[in-house]
Amino acid sequence: MKYIFYFLLVFALPMRLLAESSVNDTQIQVNTLISGSDSLKAVAINSLVASEKTEVYPLLSAINDKKLFLYNNILITIGEKLSSDIGADKFKILQVYPEYKELTSDNGNFLFLPISELKEVEFSRSSRLLLAPITPYLNLLSPEVEKRKLAYSQFQGLKDKAILPKLYSALAQEKHQEILRLGRETIFSIQLNSSPAASHKMWIDSLTLNWGPNTQSILEEYAAAQSNPELKNIASAKAEELQTKHERLRMFQNVFSGLSLGSILIMIALGLSIVYGLAGVINMAHGEFLMIGAYTTYCIQSIMSPTSDLFFWVSLPLAFLVSGIWGFVIERLIIRHLYSRPLESMLATWGVGLVLVQIARSLFGDLTAVRTPSMLSGGWEIVQHLVLPYNRLFIIFLSAFMITATYLVLYKSRLGLQIRAVTQNRRMSSCLGIETNKLDAMTFFLGSGLAGLAGAAMTLIGNVVPDMGQTYIVDSFLVVVTGGVGNIAGSIVSGFGIGFLFKMLESFFQAVYGKVLILTLIILFLQYKPKGLFPDKGRIGED
Amino acid sequence: MKKYLTADSLFYILLITVFLIVLPLGNILGFVSNNTISLWGRYFCFAIAALGIDLIWGYTGVLSMCQAFFFCLGGYSIAMHMLLSATGKGVYSAAIPDFMVWNQVETLPFFWEPFHSFGLSLMLALALPAIFAFLFGFFVFRSRIKGVYFAIITQALALAVWLIFLRNETMLGGTNGLTDFKSLLGFELSNPKTKLGLYLIAFLTLCGTFLFCRWLVNSKFGKVLVGILDSESRLSFTAYNVVNYKVAVFVIAAVLAAIGGVLYAPQTGIITPGRMDVKASIEMVMWVALGGRGRLKGAIIGALLVNYLYSVCTSLFPESWLYILGILFILTVLFFEKGFWGLIEMLEAKLTGWSPAKGSESLKANV
Repeated sequence: MKYIFYFLLVFALPMRLLAESSVNDTQIQVNTLISGSDSLKAVAINSLVASEKTEVYPLLSAINDKKLFLYNNILITIGEKLSSDIGADKFKILQVYPEYKELTSDNGNFLFLPISELKEVEFSRSSRLLLAPITPYLNLLSPEVEKRKLAYSQFQGLKDKAILPKLYSALAQEKHQEILRLGRETIFSIQLNSSPAASHKMWIDSLTLNWGPNTQSILEEYAAAQSNPELKNIASAKAEELQTKHERLRMFQNVFSGLSLGSILIMIALGLSIVYGLAGVINMAHGEFLMIGAYTTYCIQSIMSPTSDLFFWVSLPLAFLVSGIWGFVIERLIIRHLYSRPLESMLATWGVGLVLVQIARSLFGDLTAVRTPSMLSGGWEIVQHLVLPYNRLFIIFLSAFMITATYLVLYKSRLGLQIRAVTQNRRMSSCLGIETNKLDAMTFFLGSGLAGLAGAAMTLIGNVVPDMGQTYIVDSFLVVVTGGVGNIAGSIVSGFGIGFLFKMLESFFQAVYGKVLILTLIILFLQYKPKGLFPDKGRIGED
Repeated sequence: MKKYLTADSLFYILLITVFLIVLPLGNILGFVSNNTISLWGRYFCFAIAALGIDLIWGYTGVLSMCQAFFFCLGGYSIAMHMLLSATGKGVYSAAIPDFMVWNQVETLPFFWEPFHSFGLSLMLALALPAIFAFLFGFFVFRSRIKGVYFAIITQALALAVWLIFLRNETMLGGTNGLTDFKSLLGFELSNPKTKLGLYLIAFLTLCGTFLFCRWLVNSKFGKVLVGILDSESRLSFTAYNVVNYKVAVFVIAAVLAAIGGVLYAPQTGIITPGRMDVKASIEMVMWVALGGRGRLKGAIIGALLVNYLYSVCTSLFPESWLYILGILFILTVLFFEKGFWGLIEMLEAKLTGWSPAKGSESLKANV
């Protein structure tokens, strides 16, 4: 055996020359990788590395990452993990040879499999070490986004044209928008640093047009090192231009974040506000209804097929319903005894919250997550570097929907008319034949349902944990107080106000001090408007 | 049986015999562990803070959700002093507390300077919460923020200061808080005798603050507080300046909480921002609610009982503590508005046929 190894080693070079002559030889070496002995595998790797054929790079990259598997006699590697808690983790399956592509299952969806169904193709450490010289190139084709990003950034600033063909061929395989931009940036920067001065202007323009993440610093460095005053000026002017553009975009991004935070706060505050207005109950367990909504989504995800997106759309109305029913039951059992005793209601509902959190904890454990539906992952890139994530957009949209629906219910329906009547004067409404008991329960159902809907949406931007409701609840209380308790319009205005203000202050100070500053501002604001933005007019209010 | 053995006198007798005689004697003789002693010593601190909450919430009807913050202001002040007095004895023998060494701080921040002296620290421990409560209370009460609004604002305050104390750059120990105290005024804190001493000091302070509060609520000041609870607007129509009274009681409650905190830190050996989060304040209020609001004895019993129950439950069935607490919350608010002490009074009334329910329509103003 040893002799064969030495023999092969001696003849590796001529064999490589032969290998280049026909594609079939590459196939033979690949076959050796699957079934050969360790020493034969090493030889095959060596010749594949030496052949410099980029089509085998995905395969070599998988070997390098110890992630080469066999599935139905196809060489594959695993990509992103499918987030689900049922059974073993499943991974996306990518074919690596002869073509680098995602495999699909029979129904046309991407194929996801657990590792247990795959047969690993093993390599000794020494054979993997043979790949070390070309590891940076292999990483350009790694299934992991972060690795690819790092690989491209590592090549930036090189002054050697020799690597360009490899970069071009790797980039041809790339589908990820962000990495495409990064890759182009890398290529342009290498061109800029290695081409003759005559073409520099063109490369600077290409860089600016492409506007990758590091373009500004590349241009600045170039300008600093360049002796030609004309090129120097062009580069630094472009860098400055990018800088101002970037700042403007960041401003816009802040506004968007503010809008998104405001929407979240409003979604939570809506239910709080209606319930307080009607029943004089501050519901500290409101955040827990949010949690119930989120866990409903999680349960639906576990029940339904984990690969399809349908679960999320199904769970939206169900989250509303389930949280609403919980709210209804708790109202009938506990909260109806607390009407018009807001301070006591705060304490009792806090107790309800404790129990609900503990129930969730013993049922589901501490940390679970809901997969973001593929339709809502990623973002909408309006212009370069301004990506509005779909999940945030969806939340803004949902919150607009909830506001509209609440408005319609309150102001255009018979139920809403009754709710408003009882909010204004409970006894009088009761005298006029409104069944206040029934109405209270209905309102509580609506309020908790809204929280549940918000909770389902919150699974898009965070984990599902038993105490997730408490993250936003104090802020939502502030929104309600600033807006005027029991006033929907006030809650909306103050929700967006606080959301914007918070994100703006956050970009100047750190988040914590922004929060403190907002609290101070609210206290000062309440000096002038102690009953919030839009206080109740009329006889109710005092005592 | 003619009122010789009322629930009142039984309360005093039990309190004094158990905590002033049985437990300390037992500790000296060796059948009560040091751990039990310092555990109860801590509960006394909570009870002192609970007295303050009872004054502002039970008697005045103002629900303050940031009492734990005042408690921690006291605790942190004394903790800073203890850390400074132990400088040079830490792991790095540096002139600043160890956690600052980890954070690459070389010089002592300026606001730590006053805490070198014990007297000044003690003064600041009480003055800081008092000043803070005065300013905050003045602005908030002046603009007639009350009821739910006040509760929510103070809750937001509790959240904000908690976030500040969590930060490392505020030089207050961050999430880990302040810990590793060595000695106080030269007494080794690990010494059982110091522990017993602190226990006794805490108990006597509790008795002192109780007597003070009893005097307060029976004075004219106390009657005005109950007036605010019953009808604030009627009281202000009769030319009482309600704002002043509210600010005053808010300051008193803050100072009481701070006294609790001062005694708490040396007995526990650690003070962290976890003591002052939003939950902590609500739980403090719940002690009073469970014990019996509007009754000073109720506040004390509530604080002692809930915390004792907590330590028993968390060791016996840790999973279910939150269920127990939550359900107790709900039941108390729904059915036992007068709390545990109210229950005892009711029992007493049943047994002796003597009714204590006279006086104010909302609650009995005497103790």
